[in-house]
Order: sequence, then structure tokens, then C-alpha cells
Amino acid sequence: MTDVVNIALSGVFHAAILFLVAAGLQVIFGVQRIFNLACGSFYALGAYVGVSAVRWALDAGLPPPYFVLPLIVAGIGVAAIGPVVERLLRFVYDRDETFQLLLTFAVVLMLEDVTKLVWGTSPFSTGGLYLVYGSVSVLGATVPVYNLVVIGAGIVVALLIGWMLARTRFGRIVRATAENREMSEAVGVNMRRVYTQVFTLGTGLGTLGGALVIPSTAAMSEMGIDLIVEAFAVVVIGGLGSMRGAVAGALAVGLLRALAIATYPELEMLLIYLIVIAVLLWRPRGLFGEAPA
Amino acid sequence: MRKLYGDFCALNGVSLAVRAGEFVSIIGPNGAGKTTLINVLTGHLPPTAGSIRFNGRDIAGIGPVRLARLGLARSFQLVSIFPALTALEVVEVAVVSRLRRGRRWFASLARDREVERGAVEILELFRLADRRATPARNLAQGDKKLLDVASTFALHPELILLDEPTSGVSTRDKTGIMEILVAAAKRVGIKAIVQVEHDMDIVFGYSDRIVALQEGRVLADAAPAVIRADEAVVAAVVGRPPAVRGD
Amino acid sequence: MRQRLVLGLVIALALLYPLVASPYYATHMLRFFAYAIVVLGLNLLFGYTGLLSFGHSLFLAVGAYTAAVLTSQLGIRSMEVVLLAAALASAAVAVPVGALCVRYVRIYFAMLTLAFAMLFYSFLLKFYHLTGGDEGMRVVRPALLFVDFDGVPKTTFLSHHYYYYSAAVLLVLAVVMWRVVGSPFGLCLRAIRDNPEKAAALAVSVTRYRWAAFVVSAVYAGIGGALLAPTTGQVDPGLAYWTHSGNLVFMTLLGGFTHFVGPVVGAFVFIHLQDQVMSLLPYWRLVFGAILAAVVIFVPGGLMSLCSIRPRALRGRAPRTAA
Repeated sequence: MTDVVNIALSGVFHAAILFLVAAGLQVIFGVQRIFNLACGSFYALGAYVGVSAVRWALDAGLPPPYFVLPLIVAGIGVAAIGPVVERLLRFVYDRDETFQLLLTFAVVLMLEDVTKLVWGTSPFSTGGLYLVYGSVSVLGATVPVYNLVVIGAGIVVALLIGWMLARTRFGRIVRATAENREMSEAVGVNMRRVYTQVFTLGTGLGTLGGALVIPSTAAMSEMGIDLIVEAFAVVVIGGLGSMRGAVAGALAVGLLRALAIATYPELEMLLIYLIVIAVLLWRPRGLFGEAPA
Repeated sequence: MRKLYGDFCALNGVSLAVRAGEFVSIIGPNGAGKTTLINVLTGHLPPTAGSIRFNGRDIAGIGPVRLARLGLARSFQLVSIFPALTALEVVEVAVVSRLRRGRRWFASLARDREVERGAVEILELFRLADRRATPARNLAQGDKKLLDVASTFALHPELILLDEPTSGVSTRDKTGIMEILVAAAKRVGIKAIVQVEHDMDIVFGYSDRIVALQEGRVLADAAPAVIRADEAVVAAVVGRPPAVRGD
Repeated sequence: MRQRLVLGLVIALALLYPLVASPYYATHMLRFFAYAIVVLGLNLLFGYTGLLSFGHSLFLAVGAYTAAVLTSQLGIRSMEVVLLAAALASAAVAVPVGALCVRYVRIYFAMLTLAFAMLFYSFLLKFYHLTGGDEGMRVVRPALLFVDFDGVPKTTFLSHHYYYYSAAVLLVLAVVMWRVVGSPFGLCLRAIRDNPEKAAALAVSVTRYRWAAFVVSAVYAGIGGALLAPTTGQVDPGLAYWTHSGNLVFMTLLGGFTHFVGPVVGAFVFIHLQDQVMSLLPYWRLVFGAILAAVVIFVPGGLMSLCSIRPRALRGRAPRTAA
């Protein structure tokens, strides 16, 4: 029983992080029809900056229990790179999506080396800092409180996004643009601004995810390009462009991965890819997505 | 046959027969079900009820590729060509398909005289031979339309279905195009032509038979003279009496 | 006529190169030969059929590992057998993978091929009893045309014997590819690229042709991978990683996907430039990322489009620019 709870909790923790990154991917794809290969790189950037921010804050005298503050600020602040990348993408909005995909790949390449340049290649972490919140016993299993905090944060963000999409003007514009770009433009929506805002939002979700994961792992040089494939699995299973899909897909991938690690570690990612292929075979639109082109 | 989209009945008991040697025009106001009828007839959509037979064979929903192989070809309302290919190459695709040479992955296309001749012959029938080396995207709009139809003719189909062959063409040029089409059909050996058309002058000028659709039903199916005399059809479909023309 | 002269000149230079250049640079050309074959195959799928694969590293890795398994595990050292085996192995993988992938287009196709490449990567990494895992597998020096060159020192073997062998393989495969794209089959592929619905209306089985193009391009990638393996003497799972696929696409785009030789030019520039940049600073990805961005934004037709050589035989899908 303890094992099941352990697997479930570690799976949900991973799912919370995956959800953040996948939500970023989804909102950008839903509105701009761009599959952002660099979402993993943004995640990595958020992680590295997060560690730096925490270390700096602690050196400056911040009491350890408050480390989440600089972490979250860093995670969200790094989203500033969003408008910069979006400006680049603006050159290719009217082109074939191949070029858009390749441009995001160019960003991947550049960010890979930027992180190496600034932070080096060895793992960069906050050490055991997250244990400052201690651990708690849930149904017999021991879990760090921090992990529960992250799961909570994931839920909060999911709810916020849902509220934003349903209730706010911005959310309405996002949904309208996702459904019919020309029409939205025709009724006076400022496409340029919407695209910048959406891309920044998507970036911010990714960087926040990276920052939040940091205390329990280390920032490592391949983490960005490793994650993109998991993020891709999430959006395939959940359905491209769908927020609910991001939640469902993230849970599916997170739990599957936790299960695989606990039972057959060699199968870890293999199982995920097989599921992706199976989903594409049998229900290409995923659980909640639109029909694929 | 009948075709339902959910609750909406696009085709409600439409029966239609086309025999060799006929030129049939399908007319009707927008929303009458003409496009749905074409899509069902050309195997793009399976009918909800009823059957479609071509040369005795059931063709419901078999898809454009197999249908073209059986001898039923279709041209599209919106110009549909291969933008980066030259006019000659566009037609050559159809000829290659007809001669089943698509499998030849090692033979030189440029040296295939038979394919070239077949394509040039069609281009000449459609008065496009002098532009054979022009990339299709650079052709004038009217020429693109002709090329689109020409490539369909190059399949040497038994029956050809033209979806608004003169749409987007100026009135002055419409008759010219129809003359080309009819002459080409004779030369190529096409046995029957079905067209969807809005221009009543063209319809009455060239059809052996006119099928008038309205709200998914066949309102009338008869020779032009009979249709012209039928005021109900005229009012419903045309909106005004057509000019009297010799057939 | 002028193009034939240029081609002849290039081939002559290539043949003379090992005699004048240092062994280091000659060995460098080996990577170029191998990658040139791979991207020629990739462009059949991309430039001619309109399908962007982000998973061709899969077939490159299949070919490379076939070479490794044959030479170091099974003791089969004839390069001809290795190349044939690599071609067959790639085809065997491409038939089912392709059958699945060509049912989708655009983003879904790209992502699906990426997933398959990563699937193979995980397999190579995790099943270390079979594959050597992270450390990979050794590749033993093969025999060329049934002649054993074991007595020859390694650098000489690579910069002379293997150089000419690889160049010959590239030449043969390039001629074959030239015939393929100029064939009726090639015409149908281009039609499918330009307008799949119209192609179907002209009785061209779109899925089947795409599948055939997929398999051919996979075979090329596999042969290229097998040719690449002996140059380093080692194969590792990284060959299958998705960013390696990305580099293949990069090379294709850099040279120009609308020209037959574009990808070959792109591979040449990429490999030599990468070497130059790496000798100056370890951050070649930063530089190359910027180059890729610049190419995508400003020169989408690649280097070949900068020369005023008009594309022959292949007038590619030009990007739709703002009206």
C-alpha cells in the first residue's frame, strides 16, 4: 500500500510539473498553431535561474523557509525571454509551419549553449534545501512537504487558467483566436499583442515549472531537450491545444513514469513512447483535442 | 439516395441516371445540395442511404483514387493545380497515372516520349501548349482553371464531373472555354459529361438534360426545352425566365 | 552544360583532395560523405514529397548500429555486406514505421517521427546488455571490396582507402537519387507535395507514394549511418537522439531544399563550419542556432538560393511570404 501511495504521489508531483510545461505548449499551439520545441529549453532556463536566485537570496540573508519566494519570482521573471523569442517568430508567422518549427529548434540550440555558458555543465542545485519544510506521512508513505506544495501549486495554476479562459476578457480573446483567427482579427482583436501575450504566458508556465522542480532535482544540461519529448507525449495523449488535455495527459504520463520507474526502470521512457504511438494510431486527437490535420 | 449530416438532410431521395453520350447539367440555388451530390457521386462521401453505381459497380465512398482508376474523374470548383510544377508536368501527372508509370522510379521522365506526347496532346486541345514550360502558379487565373480541367481530361475518363467549370471566368470567355471542353471531350473519348453550373446560358446552350435540385430534392430532370417551359422550376432555380436560345 | 563542368570540377577536386590535404581534413570529409547520403535521402522526403521528418536519426542509428553489430559482434567485416545489411535493416524498420507515420502530415508527422527516434534511443540506452548502453558499441575496421587493409595505419586507411570508398558510395547513391527524382515516381511525389487532394483526384495513391518515399529516404539514412560508423570506430545512442535529427534538417535547409544538391552543400558547410567553430569555442550550438534562425528568417531557400542558379528538375515549395 505504501508503495502505491509513493508511486501515486511521485507521479502526481511529476504530473504537476509536466502540466505546467504542457499547458505552456498547449496555449501557444492553440492560439498560434506553433509547436514550440523550445518549451523544454524555457523549462531548463527557469530551473537554472531559479537555483541562482535561491542561492543569491540565501547568501543575502534570506531565511531558508522563504526560499520559495525567490524561486517563484525567478520562475515567472524569466518569462521575459518570451517576448524576445516571439519577436523572432513574428518573422515567420505567415510561412509554412515547417519554418516555425525549425525556428523554435534554433532557439533550442541557442539556449542549450547559453545555459552551458552561464552555468557550466555540472548539475546545479539547491541541495537538500527543500527538506527545510520537512516531510509528512500520507497514508503510510513519507513525502516531502515541498512536493505537496508543488502539487498544490499545479492545481492552483490549473484552476487559475481555467478561470482566466472562462471569465476574463483576455481568456475570451484567447479562446476566440484559437477557434478562428481571421474572424477574431476581423472583429478588431489586436493579433500582434495577443500573440505576444499568449507566447509570454506559455513561456512563463514553462519557466515556472522548471523553477518549481528544482528543489527536488538538480538543473542539468540536458534537462530541456529531454523534457520536450515527455511534454510532447502529454499533449498527444491529452490532445493538442486543449487545457483539459494538458491535465489529463500530464497525469497519465506522470503516473505511468512513476509506475515504470518502480517496476521496470528500463522501460521508463519506452513505455511512454509506446503509449504515444498507440494513441496516435487509435485516437489521434487524444483525449480532448481537435482532429489532426 | 439520401445524405444526412446529423439532423440535416442534404440529399433527400435524389435519383439520377447518366447514360453514355449525355451532357447533363445540375442546377439549383445555393444550399440545394449540389456540392453534397457531387461529393457523394465522386466517392468522397458515402451516402446515408441508397447506392451509387458506375458501370454496374457500387462506388459509394471508395475515394477519389480508386474512382479515377475506374474511369470517373472530377474537376474542382476552386482551381486546384500543382503550383511548383510546369503546365506540362501538371498534365504529365495524369498521363503517368493513366499509363500506370508511377511505379517507375528509375526511368527518366524527360525521355518518356509517350508521356510527353500524351500531355502535349491535351495541352494543345486546351490551347495551353505554348505555356507548357511555365510554372503553374505563374499562369493567368483562367489558364490555371483550364489546366486544372485539362489534367482531369488527361486521365481519359469515361465520365467526367465538372464542378462549375466556368466559375471565375469572365462572361466573354465562358463560351470559348465550353467549346474547348466539348471538343476536347470528343477527342479524348469521354463518354459523358456531368457539370454543376450556375450560368444559365451555358447550361441551356450545351446540355442534353438538366437536373434541377432544390433543398435536397430533384425538382425536375428533363431536356432543356421542357425545363424552360416549366415555370415552377424556372422560378425556383433561375429566378427569371431564360433567354430563348437555339439548342 | 556549365553545370556539368562544375560537377566534373568538384568531383576532380574531391578525388585529388587526399593527395594534397592533411589527413585530418581528409578524414573530415568522411563525415561529409556519410551525412551527404543521409540528407539526400531526407530531402527526397522533405523537399520532394513535402514531409518533414524529425526522426531520421532513427535510421542513421539503425545503420550505424548494424555496422557495429556486424563487425564487432558477428565478425562480418565486408563493408559491402555491412552496407547491404544496413539498407535492409533500415527498410525493415521503415516499412512499419512509415506505414504508420505517413497517415499523418505536418506537425503530427514530424512529432511522430521524433517519437520513434526517441523510442529507439531509449532502447539503445536502457538495454545495455544488447546494445552497450551509454558507452555504445565498437566498430571494427571493415574490409573494402573484400580486401583487408589491416596492415595499413589507421589515419592512412581513413584518409585514403576509406575516403575513396565513401566518395564512390556517395557518387553512386547520388546518381541513383538523381534518377529517382527525375522519374515518373519523382513527378508523382512532387505532385503530392504541391497538392495532395489534386494528386488523389488524378488517381495517385498519396499514402502509398509517401510510404515509398519514406522507405527510400530511410534506406539512404541507414547506409549513411553505416558509412559513418567506421570513421569514429564507435557508435552510441546519441546518434538516435532527436536533436541529431534536427541537425539533419538544419543541413538540408542550410544548403537549400529546393535544389537537388542543396542538402549536400548544406552538409558540407555544416560539418566544416562546425569543426571550425568548435576549435574556437565550445559553444557551436549557439552560433549554429543563430545561423539556423537567420537562414529560416532571411534565406529560407538556403545557400543555393543565394547563388543565382535556378532550380532544375525541382522547383521547390517556396515559403509563402507576406502578400
